[in-house]
Amino acid sequence: MNQSLRFLIVILPILILIFFTRVLLIDEDTQLATFEAKNFPTFELDDLNGRPVQSESLGGIKLINVWASWCITCLVEHPFLTELSENNVGIIGLNYKDSDTKANAWLQKHGNPYLFSIYDPRGDLAFDLGVTGAPESYLLINNKVVGHIQGEMNQIKWENIFLPLIQKAQQR
Amino acid sequence: MGEYLSTPNSESSAKIMAIKRFFTVIYFFIFSSFAFTQIVYEFENSLQEKRFYSLISEIRCPKCTSGSIASSDAPVSRDLKNKVYQLILEGSTDDEIKQYVSERFGTFSDYRPSLSGSNYFLWFGPFIFLAILFLIFFSKRRI
Amino acid sequence: MIGEISHLLSLSAVLLLTLVLIFNLFFSFNKSHPNQLTLSMRLFNQSCWLVFISFGIYLYLAISDDFSIAYIASHSNSQLPIFYKITSIWSAHEGSMFLWIVFLIAWSYLFLNSLNKNHPLKKLTLLMLSLIILGFLLFLLLTSNPFERILPFGAIEGADINPVLQDPALAIHPPMLYLGYVGFVISFSFITAYLLNGNFELQWEQDIKNWSLVAWIFLTIGITLGSWWAYYELGWGGYWFWDPVENVALMPWLAATAFMHSLFASSKSDVLKTWTMFLGILIFALSLFGAFIVRSGIIDSVHSFANDPERGLYLLSFSGSITLLALTIFAYRLPALNSSKLVVSGSKESFLSMNNILMITSIFSIFLGVTYPLIIESIYGDKVSIGPPYYNTIFSPLILIAAAFIMISIDALWQRSMPLRTFFITTVPPTLLSLLSIYIVWRLTGIFSILAFIGILSGLLIIFSYLFKTIKNLSKKKYINKGSAVAHIGLGLLFFAVSMNSILSYEKNLNLAPGQTISVNESVQEFHFKDIRVLKASNHDVISAEVSLLHDGREISLNPQKRKYATRGQITSESAIHASVLKDTYLTIGDQLENGSWTFSLKINYFIKWIWLSAALMVFGMLLTIFKKKAL
Repeated sequence: MNQSLRFLIVILPILILIFFTRVLLIDEDTQLATFEAKNFPTFELDDLNGRPVQSESLGGIKLINVWASWCITCLVEHPFLTELSENNVGIIGLNYKDSDTKANAWLQKHGNPYLFSIYDPRGDLAFDLGVTGAPESYLLINNKVVGHIQGEMNQIKWENIFLPLIQKAQQR
Repeated sequence: MGEYLSTPNSESSAKIMAIKRFFTVIYFFIFSSFAFTQIVYEFENSLQEKRFYSLISEIRCPKCTSGSIASSDAPVSRDLKNKVYQLILEGSTDDEIKQYVSERFGTFSDYRPSLSGSNYFLWFGPFIFLAILFLIFFSKRRI
Repeated sequence: MIGEISHLLSLSAVLLLTLVLIFNLFFSFNKSHPNQLTLSMRLFNQSCWLVFISFGIYLYLAISDDFSIAYIASHSNSQLPIFYKITSIWSAHEGSMFLWIVFLIAWSYLFLNSLNKNHPLKKLTLLMLSLIILGFLLFLLLTSNPFERILPFGAIEGADINPVLQDPALAIHPPMLYLGYVGFVISFSFITAYLLNGNFELQWEQDIKNWSLVAWIFLTIGITLGSWWAYYELGWGGYWFWDPVENVALMPWLAATAFMHSLFASSKSDVLKTWTMFLGILIFALSLFGAFIVRSGIIDSVHSFANDPERGLYLLSFSGSITLLALTIFAYRLPALNSSKLVVSGSKESFLSMNNILMITSIFSIFLGVTYPLIIESIYGDKVSIGPPYYNTIFSPLILIAAAFIMISIDALWQRSMPLRTFFITTVPPTLLSLLSIYIVWRLTGIFSILAFIGILSGLLIIFSYLFKTIKNLSKKKYINKGSAVAHIGLGLLFFAVSMNSILSYEKNLNLAPGQTISVNESVQEFHFKDIRVLKASNHDVISAEVSLLHDGREISLNPQKRKYATRGQITSESAIHASVLKDTYLTIGDQLENGSWTFSLKINYFIKWIWLSAALMVFGMLLTIFKKKAL
């Protein structure tokens, strides 16, 4: 009894140390927390040009990007999004709690990397999607949300989190 | 007042009617300006109110590093509070509300881990630990 | 230039400490040559003074606005009052680590020099402390250097520190906490030295007793200050959230409390020595764990310093090594330590032993709660959140068991079982009175909550049993252990107040335009939003609301504010609190809506003052114990 107690007193801290070392060494940006794939929420909204959005336009592989004219960090990720769109990545904007006039003006001024933008002034679709703020991005594959990134989109996150998911889907 | 409004039979009566209408409009403005002096999150009974404040303290703020939506002023927290309020009024149970939130914001958003699977160890672990220590103490009586 | 002198002094201290260690390694552990020890102590003392002077210079640099030092430039500002220039030093990682180390050195310096030069454990303790200090100094200088310069010219002006940090309570909270945490390095090192030394005839408890009691007081004050600050500053009326950083401060506190009680038993009665030693090591180990958690950033918390894996790895490996060293020596010596004495069931020792078990279980529960999300995420990838619902549920029964044992053990005897008659006399009156009180609370409030009622019962059991005991002893003119009575009544009061607060407090969210009045409920008969003004202060703009309330017949004026700070554009909310004996009226202003009205959050928090009082009672009780004329 005593022997096992002595053993335990030394082994437990060692196990704890090993565990925390492992946790420390996993880099936040590259960690792939299992994301529960879910269906894209149903919605009835127009795009920024006033035309109703058809659910077919969300098919295939699409990047949903939550943005707004009042969002400062969105400007930071904008060049990367433009780069992605020029490389044939379909990006659909989700204009979050914004006015359509200001949103359109923003796109005019900074450029429009989006195929189109869903106009969600009250944030209803965003709420159903689980959006916590702007900017935020989701990966949509065949109408299923398979990936989620909080904060600005950048090269590292794209390559480590979304790209593997896309590649996995394309292999099937 | 009704008889004056319904039978205008002279110019003075028409004037009186105009004045009455004027005051009706004034009263309307005064009372509607009281319409927003209200208790936000007003419930049908105190049980609902208690449930509300209890629920929002158990739902995690999706945007903050830590903390419940009750203690957060973030826009998404406010939206969540309003939604919880709405759902309570619509008659959803606490579990249904938490389920609703989890579907959208992940299991991360419930500060009360469910009693399932590996969580059994979480909830019962401390008491098992206590029992084991007590047993060792009683058997050894040397510690 | 002066910054470099300060830097150099700290580096020299590293050198000297290394010398101390190497010097002693060339001699065998057990032979103690008087000159060796004298020389080592001299080197050690000199290195301590080097760091003290280094820190003193650093203080000067902060006060004199030397913005060529990167840390001072990013955390201070020439417009700050001198007090806040000083406190800005420990407002972030590098500086607070520096302070932590200074305190570590201060405790070590005072303790070692208080030991008689012939004390058999002096050398080993010196070596242990030198090793720990050296490790942390290296950590500071290698990974978190507060002396880094901005070259070649330095910053013209410092960045304003977070306005939220310009607060007296928040400024003193870290130093108090650190004094508490690092104070237990004394028990850690001394006990390890004792175990290494191997002579188990030596008495060691007396040497570290008062040092540990003082450290406990600082730790208690530090935690309470943090809680109090969070209550009046953060705006949501809560005082404890079971946030990971709060938890890692609570764990050493629980271990320290257990240690103190166990020390009492082992010095009086020769039992529980092994428990006491283990606890004495555990406290500092938990402090190290806390430092690691907070400074590595691996756990999400509002309190964490920046995420830095390199620092995390160093802290983890260093803390882990020291802890393993101590625990391995402990495990190695365990067979030799076991006394042949059995603990008698129902004796005071057995209750103290059970107290240790309960405390260890509490620590385990908190540790489990803190690490569980990490464990689940690394195995399953799921994200789980653990917060008040978990901790409140787990602690409720634990607290009740603890309260029951505290009550029963008041009249327990050393080395003898408690007679059944004594058991009934001690437990029946307080239990009946407590149950009656709960019934009264239930009828008066109409509220029923199992968890809270368990808490109230626990608190009352402790309070009533100590009151009964005190009155009985007063009437019989018997000895009263005042310190113990005051501290335990404080603990009971804490359980009582926290539980009452949880069932009685409520919140109302309101929406009014300036000039309007509303009746909220029977208690808050009138809420009159008088006026809202925009003012200008030295470094911020203020939106100030004037509200007058008619609360339970009393007129209360409240003045909640919102501030926008010039330098960083930060917006903070200053809640207005009216604290009366039974409850706090707590008002926070929200946002302005499109129609010009404002939202308010009104919280009525019950028994808050009693929570602060309970902490004060516990500290006061401990002070009475320290300054008792009779030796323990």
